[in-house]
Amino acid sequence: MKFGLHVGIAGASLLVPSALVSIWVGGAAARLAEAKEAPTEKPAVATAAMADEGYCSADLKKVLRRVLQSCGLVAGGRGCQPLEAKNVAAMAGDDFNALFMPLADRAAILQFDKESAELDPGDLALLDATFADQRGGSYFFVVSRASPDGSAEFNRDLSQKRGDAVLSHLRQKFADPNNPTAFNGELDQQVGLLWLGEEVAQLDSQFCGWKRSGAMDAAAAPADGTASTAAPGEPASAAPACAAEELNRSAFIAWIDCRL
Amino acid sequence: MKRSPWNLVFIAASLAGFAFASVSTHDFVQHLDRQVHSITCSFLPGLATPAMGESGCQVTLMSPYSSVFRTWLWGGLPISLPAMAVFAFLAFRGIDLLVNQAPTARAPRVFLVAAAALPAVTSLVMGYIAMNVLDAACKLCIGIYVSSFVALVAAVLEWRTAPSAAALGQEPEGEDANPARSHAVSVGQGVGFVLIPTLLYGIIAPDQTEIVQSCGELAGLEAPAGVMVPLDQNAGAKAAVEVLDPMCPACRAFEGRLEASGLGPQVNRSMVLFPLDHCNWNVGQALHPGACVVSEAVLCAGDRARDVLSWSYAHQAEIKDVATAAAGPEKEGEPAKERNARVDAAVTDHVSKAFPDLKACIGTPAVKKKLGDALRWASRSQLPVTTPQLYIEGRKLCDEDTDLGMDFALSRLLSSAAATPSKEATP
Repeated sequence: MKFGLHVGIAGASLLVPSALVSIWVGGAAARLAEAKEAPTEKPAVATAAMADEGYCSADLKKVLRRVLQSCGLVAGGRGCQPLEAKNVAAMAGDDFNALFMPLADRAAILQFDKESAELDPGDLALLDATFADQRGGSYFFVVSRASPDGSAEFNRDLSQKRGDAVLSHLRQKFADPNNPTAFNGELDQQVGLLWLGEEVAQLDSQFCGWKRSGAMDAAAAPADGTASTAAPGEPASAAPACAAEELNRSAFIAWIDCRL
Repeated sequence: MKRSPWNLVFIAASLAGFAFASVSTHDFVQHLDRQVHSITCSFLPGLATPAMGESGCQVTLMSPYSSVFRTWLWGGLPISLPAMAVFAFLAFRGIDLLVNQAPTARAPRVFLVAAAALPAVTSLVMGYIAMNVLDAACKLCIGIYVSSFVALVAAVLEWRTAPSAAALGQEPEGEDANPARSHAVSVGQGVGFVLIPTLLYGIIAPDQTEIVQSCGELAGLEAPAGVMVPLDQNAGAKAAVEVLDPMCPACRAFEGRLEASGLGPQVNRSMVLFPLDHCNWNVGQALHPGACVVSEAVLCAGDRARDVLSWSYAHQAEIKDVATAAAGPEKEGEPAKERNARVDAAVTDHVSKAFPDLKACIGTPAVKKKLGDALRWASRSQLPVTTPQLYIEGRKLCDEDTDLGMDFALSRLLSSAAATPSKEATP
């Protein structure tokens, strides 16, 4: 055996893996340093945020902002009376209602008995299902109304009681009983109340096809309480009878998927 | 004197093994830059077809068995690197035998057999792991296994067919004069062949200690009750939050890697469910159909949340099949809501077969609200829309460190957290 040849073959054989490792690791280290120098070149990962759906038009956001500031959520009070609401919306009742039309898929109408502010089991099931389906919604709107039977003052009070009944149930059902003032105190920050009495923005027949607890009562409530009667946009005839006065003895509820 | 052809076969097998191990090492090393790279997956090193995703090569490379000393070095030391060195050593010994040793020399041939046995035995062990633990076949690895066995067989035949000096009436010379010394020197050479490239790798590999601790922190927002679901019961361990999707394959793989790393007992995780499905408004379309229902099942399970999560990890493919079958072929004009409702109903039935007592809870307003709370907490915390995410004492484990670099990064985050008293998991 020639020792020199032996060492030569060994050296060459060892050099190859060592050189390859040096080149590869050196290349990776250089790329790493380069990426560190230019971090902006890294592809951006989407960041989670509250929802901001396409229907959040400038007009809707304007009204929402006014309602939130003037009707309690931002200022710390609770609810807007009819005249305040009228001024806040700064628009005709039909225009006001039209703003909420894109919410057909998200909203529900809790129908009360005449002169009553009591939520029956059908109302509660629909309210729970609608409120639980918050998804990325930031604000839960409760717009309570009364039909034009009786005096305006009586109906104003009645619609306020209906709105309060909704809020009271939500607090009871969804606030954390062990820690009511902590994160779930936010429930109060999320729920916006407008009571409109009989004076502002009465609902018309185009809302008959929406999810309504009254319609559910008439058609027998589904076991899961989801209360779907007619798909939004479906002709009113697909749902049980829907008179204007019944439709307005109500609280319109919906999560609003808008970031303000 | 005519030489046996077996040594040539041995050299060829050693060079082939070297080539396979080199390509595998190259694939591993390029990940040191923390970027995503394609992985070579071919029986023809150098003429490879890049393969991304859940190929056997990907599974093997990202598995805890692809490297050692993972808490010392980012990614650890790839086991294909010592394999490269061993095959280079075998090639050296084969070439030396061919051009520098007598045709009758016994000691170098005996050593050749012993040296060739090392990669063959290692191949048996790694092949067993690939088949029984990883359930994945890596073409490069198969190339290494085959090369190892061909080299061993060729070494044995070379040894057995070489003419004996005694039979030819010759005196033992060279290495045969003192076989013990010869073997000791050869072993030393082999150790040197492995140590030198290995140490070189350890010395020049980039230090990522700072980088792995610079990927941000949780905003520290208060979480509503029920959003943080206890995942571990490791009293005294560092508090951690894992944001996960029970139907996400990366989350399942991460769980396996965490378990294999042995670092699991050092963290006390709470999970925040973040299904990448239709109930999550942060995703345009359901990436993991059925994940909303499975997440609700986890939330419904209370103390058994971990059991339901483990079950979902173990049955991901099955649940996905159920969801796909329920969704059916995409119909033009069909509202996504209807399709999602079908998927949810089918997955609810499937989950309820495994956990009948959860059926009454899945889909109720209360659990939907709880899941929504988790999603909104993630949104308010402005978390990236990706899973899994792990935060140790509020500090994020980088996304780039959830596979190869996990042991290294996690041990560094735990060390830095050790300097501060442990907090409750709920931020």
